[in-house]
Amino acid sequence: MKKHQNLPDECTACTSCVVHCPVAAVTSKFRGPKLSGPALERYRLLLHDEDPSLEYCSNCKNCDITCPSGVSPSTMNMLARGEYYKKHPHRLRDWILAHAEKMGQMNSPMAAVANMGADNPLTRIALKKIGITTKRRLPKYASRTFVSQFRALKQQSYPDKIVFFPGCFINYNDPQVGMDFVAVMQANRYEVIVPDDTECCGSPMVAGGYLEEAAANAQKNIQALRRLTDKGYPVITCCTSCGLMLKREYQELFRIDGVETVAARLYDSTEFLLELYDQGRLNTGFIRQNGKYLYHAPCHLRAQGIGRPALELLRLLPDIEITDADAGCCGISGSYGFKDDKYDISMAIGEDLFRTIRESGADGVVSDCGTCRMQIAHGTGARTLHPMTLVANGYGKR
Amino acid sequence: MREYDVIVVGGGLAGLIAAAGAAGRNKKVLMLTKGAGTLAIGGGSVDLLGYVGEGRPLASPEQGLTELPDTHPYSKIGRAGIQAALDYFKTVCRQEGYEYIGSPEKNYWVPTAAGTLKPTCLIPKTMDTAPLKAAEKIFVAGFHRLKDYYPQIVVQGLAKIPVYAKKEFSVVWLDTGMHEGRDITALEVARWLDTEAGRRSCAEQLKKALPPGAVVIVPPVLGTKPSYAVAEELEKTGGYRLVESTGLPPAIIGLRLRNLWLNFAKKSGVTVVENAAVTGSVVENGRCIAIKTGNLDRERTYRAQSFVLTTGGFFGGGLGSQPGRATEAVFDLPVAAPANPEEWGAPQLFGTRQPFAQIGIVADGRMAPVDAAGQPILSNVFVAGRNLAGYDFSFEKSGNGVAIVTGYQASLSV
Repeated sequence: MKKHQNLPDECTACTSCVVHCPVAAVTSKFRGPKLSGPALERYRLLLHDEDPSLEYCSNCKNCDITCPSGVSPSTMNMLARGEYYKKHPHRLRDWILAHAEKMGQMNSPMAAVANMGADNPLTRIALKKIGITTKRRLPKYASRTFVSQFRALKQQSYPDKIVFFPGCFINYNDPQVGMDFVAVMQANRYEVIVPDDTECCGSPMVAGGYLEEAAANAQKNIQALRRLTDKGYPVITCCTSCGLMLKREYQELFRIDGVETVAARLYDSTEFLLELYDQGRLNTGFIRQNGKYLYHAPCHLRAQGIGRPALELLRLLPDIEITDADAGCCGISGSYGFKDDKYDISMAIGEDLFRTIRESGADGVVSDCGTCRMQIAHGTGARTLHPMTLVANGYGKR
Repeated sequence: MREYDVIVVGGGLAGLIAAAGAAGRNKKVLMLTKGAGTLAIGGGSVDLLGYVGEGRPLASPEQGLTELPDTHPYSKIGRAGIQAALDYFKTVCRQEGYEYIGSPEKNYWVPTAAGTLKPTCLIPKTMDTAPLKAAEKIFVAGFHRLKDYYPQIVVQGLAKIPVYAKKEFSVVWLDTGMHEGRDITALEVARWLDTEAGRRSCAEQLKKALPPGAVVIVPPVLGTKPSYAVAEELEKTGGYRLVESTGLPPAIIGLRLRNLWLNFAKKSGVTVVENAAVTGSVVENGRCIAIKTGNLDRERTYRAQSFVLTTGGFFGGGLGSQPGRATEAVFDLPVAAPANPEEWGAPQLFGTRQPFAQIGIVADGRMAPVDAAGQPILSNVFVAGRNLAGYDFSFEKSGNGVAIVTGYQASLSV
């Protein structure tokens, strides 16, 4: 397979990326993906150059999705951001937002205290001071991480095994999604393996300009996962940003041995279940559950080039009505919407989606991405859920 | 097993028309796209045929159709097929709330940002040139800081053209209030007019600068959505007639048209996979059975009964070239090109047909790719839009016209 190459000269300056950039649509402070990406990259290849507007790029990938010439402006932006922070100090808030895993490790053991602390007026003053918005809640920590719940679970053993990469958000903040996924795989006669030597995929580190740390995590993850893919096991994610990072961004940003071998075995949970359906081995013994839902496709799923498998999968559930919101980026882009100077941009980007949700009269909004779900709940008050939750419900597992 | 009736590869205008058309005939359709297509770059007016022969301008595209060689895609489809495709296009646009006007009997000569006139056939109502013809005085509006659109250039150019020479021109400057940050393009102005505050501000400025009933040429900025709401609201404030000219990329009218057809295709049941890098196809016994995508992770196959190729030309990435040879990557179809690469380009860059612009895949009247003997190469594959050989859209002004006519024909053939 053709290796990814960063080729700014493939850009014909057609402006397709600028037209579809959600950030450029709501602020004129960002020069847009064409100028900050391929146009400046030509100079960066020759000499050190910095673009102050680069900080506005949210790495949502809409530029890559819409480029007719196969250029990835977002990758150029993230590489340039990494270069910038080699010579400039990071802000404390950037460290905090880029290290969701370390924050989770610190806070999870005393989740109740940490969650209470986040609402404490003094904490709020401190957050504001370092540049984290207090207009939205930080993600709550679960009282028990996914990994500790999973280790305590007695699974039925099956010859078919899959490897689950839970990612930080599911592990520390939303473990029930992981447990739902395990229940779904068990209902399909699969045993789930959760490796204990993987780390944060690195997505928030890349967005925060901690490129070297992200590369180190990537290295470890590929090593750990390769041991399992070499046994023939597929690797499955329920988080579309982890999935994109592992299967695509690692190859765009870093050079890691074995990355292609692992990428070839990576699946999004919904895509994997649809493949089981194609093979005639999906358990379709779903119980009836009524409900009218709207589906929001995360940008990091759309960038994977696999369509919207959750929509097709959920349409197999009897009596579930599911409609594609198709209203663009939600605006949060992981850590981006938590920065106090980006909060308003983030909410302005999400406005189309929020309006679509408010006008839909749906019982809930389904989305594969944890931070998309947070943004939707924050922007509309809607009930949000991961596709695996509806599938697990369909098996009567909750 | 999920299987589609039709897979359309490519999401430009030809692909959208083919996909929506097939879905309208109760086919289960999958559209694989890589990039947002060139529609929002090229523009949204539908050029059917502006020039024939060595550049003779046409008052009527219909008359020019009879002069085209048999190798031209229009000649293969015929007058009735062309009419059916244009009728379908106009019906859908009207149903979706963004009516196009015009017919093959006449060309509109619409003003451009360069102050020239360009022939085109089907246009949104806001490009209608009738108010310009009727007016004695024409206002030309510019926006402060708007890149690539200078009203003085429009006036200078138009004043040299006989039909406009006797008219009085006046330049009007409008201000979006965007005084900082990146350069302003037509897209920023159109987004400003999408907002209520923008429309209010613009209406106030128009009221101050214009007498009631004024006829005004504006850049293509009257909203990003396929709707006349922005134009109607602004025109109402003083009985004005606002006439959109063509502009440079990003092409706002093309963006409206893309949004309209993409929404319509999805509403009609078309499944869209974005960012899908199509790498090839699986062919058995002269029949395609599946399309392969190769993203950075792994290869995937998508199966269907029939297929439409609308990946574009050299610019859109649908055609490639190697020394001495033009190529098509998805089905490896033969691409007709002059044998001697020295003859791919005419030495005179403008003002003549360019051989490279006519390089493409030769198809029959059903849009099935054919070999030198005229026999279909693959029984269930059809080609539409700039993948096709035999027309120079830039020289003859026929780009969106060929996309619609051949895309619609492909939707009938699948």
